[in-house]
Amino acid sequence: MSTAAKTVTAPGTDQITSFTFGELLSSRTVIGQTLKELGETHDNLWVLTPDIGATLVEFRDTYPDRFVDVGLSEQACVGIAAGLANEGNIPVVSGMLPFLSMRALEQVRSDICYPNLPVKIVGTHGGLVGNGGSTHYAVEDLGLMTSLVNMTVTSIGDPLMVGEVLRQSMAMTGPLYIRLAVGKKDKVVYEPGSVQIEIGKGITAREGTDLTLFAHGETVSQALDAAGILAREHGINARVVDMFTLKPIDEDLILRCAEETGRFVVVEDHLTYGGLASQIADVIADRGIRLDGFRRLGIPQVFAGFGEDTELRDKHGYGLQATVDAALAVTA
Amino acid sequence: MAATITRPETDVSELEDLSYELREKLLLLCGEYDGSVHIGGDLSCADILTLLFQYGMHVDPQDLRNPERDRFVLSKGHAAVCMYITMAIRGFFDYREIVDTYGQLGSAYGMHPCKVQLPGVEVSTGSLGHGLPLATGMALHGKRSGMDHRVFTLMGDGETGEGSVWEAALAAHSNNLGNLVAFIDRNRQLMTSFSEERVKLEPYPDKWRAFGWNVIEVDGHDMAALVQAFDSLPAPDSDVPTVVICDTVKGKGVDFMERNLAWHAGSLNDTDLARALASLAHGRKAA
Repeated sequence: MSTAAKTVTAPGTDQITSFTFGELLSSRTVIGQTLKELGETHDNLWVLTPDIGATLVEFRDTYPDRFVDVGLSEQACVGIAAGLANEGNIPVVSGMLPFLSMRALEQVRSDICYPNLPVKIVGTHGGLVGNGGSTHYAVEDLGLMTSLVNMTVTSIGDPLMVGEVLRQSMAMTGPLYIRLAVGKKDKVVYEPGSVQIEIGKGITAREGTDLTLFAHGETVSQALDAAGILAREHGINARVVDMFTLKPIDEDLILRCAEETGRFVVVEDHLTYGGLASQIADVIADRGIRLDGFRRLGIPQVFAGFGEDTELRDKHGYGLQATVDAALAVTA
Repeated sequence: MAATITRPETDVSELEDLSYELREKLLLLCGEYDGSVHIGGDLSCADILTLLFQYGMHVDPQDLRNPERDRFVLSKGHAAVCMYITMAIRGFFDYREIVDTYGQLGSAYGMHPCKVQLPGVEVSTGSLGHGLPLATGMALHGKRSGMDHRVFTLMGDGETGEGSVWEAALAAHSNNLGNLVAFIDRNRQLMTSFSEERVKLEPYPDKWRAFGWNVIEVDGHDMAALVQAFDSLPAPDSDVPTVVICDTVKGKGVDFMERNLAWHAGSLNDTDLARALASLAHGRKAA
């Protein structure tokens, strides 16, 4: 994808008059604006939060009767959302994922997934982001969420995509999990309209034939940067797939990438087991796919410590250089 | 009050008969079913469920999704069979079908209630401490929509050890949910212990008062008192949630089960079933 500065208007996001393509935009801002927009068209849309979400102010002020801040009570927040969904509403729970995915896990499973209610959980701090330390990093969340029956699981880096996924999710009858990184400054990866965004379908962010780099969330930009280096410095033509839906996984796309590129590197800001790499490995095993190379890059079995996002990725072996090295290794 | 759904016109004596019928049918099921039934906690909440389904709640077995109906959330999901039979007596389900299929492959009647498999059940429950948050969300919908039905939940006292209960207690008070009513089956027993020995819930009513709730204390086996408590509930459009703490006895009505830790759950062979039914009948004559 080009990162040349270019001012465009994002479709369907009238409030965001323009942004400079390739620069940074806040996913949280997009969420706030999208929820306000959807609140107008869906009078059964509610927004709930356990004391998180300054960017939900627009929704709160516009639809105070459909906004609930329960304070620091994640379990009650998710349970109340389930109760609201029982009454025919579409609740969006917004908060920090380490707490929503773990402290409220049983409420997510038994109160939302069991009766298959249309509750959306959208949150930040997926991965080693925000420098909060291991209490504040959601690094197991995708493993937990993908194992839940009825749950659709997404992880999104591009801030404009978040808005589009939220819009599409209004038609969903079951639960949805949307994972973001910090959500304050996110790279706009896709020029609006340049890619088709559909829950359940991976996005080919860059074409290539020598290998496929699979990523989700913030590591998509990193994979694109790695593909650029591989092309410029090594003559390797890497495909980049943004597998923003981890469940249901896009099996057709995985099969096609296996046939057309033969080698996979998965890079994700999540434990190396339980996340996207595991989802893809399951498809490979179940379908009897023969690959010429497979590497998974992510967080090893450690509590990761403090540091900036990119520093932590480098330290734990799934940063930009590690991605390039893994691609070189599988194509050697 | 909910206009299109009328409440049954049962008096106290009829309610006592219906409670007796419920207990008798519970014991008969317990005798027929090979597996274990949570009979102790079923018997302790039998009068409360009778009060709600045969007297207090605006519900219509022929119109399960009527938006004006009162909602019921069985937070102590292990008392599902007691709820199924109460609802069968009210006309929701067929008692014979419950007895014939309970717990079997393909049955909608399981140990813990599932709304997906059994329409008429408002909410799927089983894991303790989930009912009050769910009921709070449902009451919030009713309150903010300006509707005047109530949302009822029934918790065991033991399950109020779960933190999620108190999170929801805060939220219900903070959101002025006068349409939310929590009945507590205060039978003072957990599965393996007596609550005040293992978990000191007292001063129990004060805990709820401290959380901003309106507290009603009542003998949970005195039907006249239960009716009086129900009739004294604040209007649904009031601003304070109410907890009705019902002083109960686990295993109530069957002498060898009452306050007996061995009867949290169990099954009845023919001899024990006969003893249990005789004890139940004896208690009724004595009353």
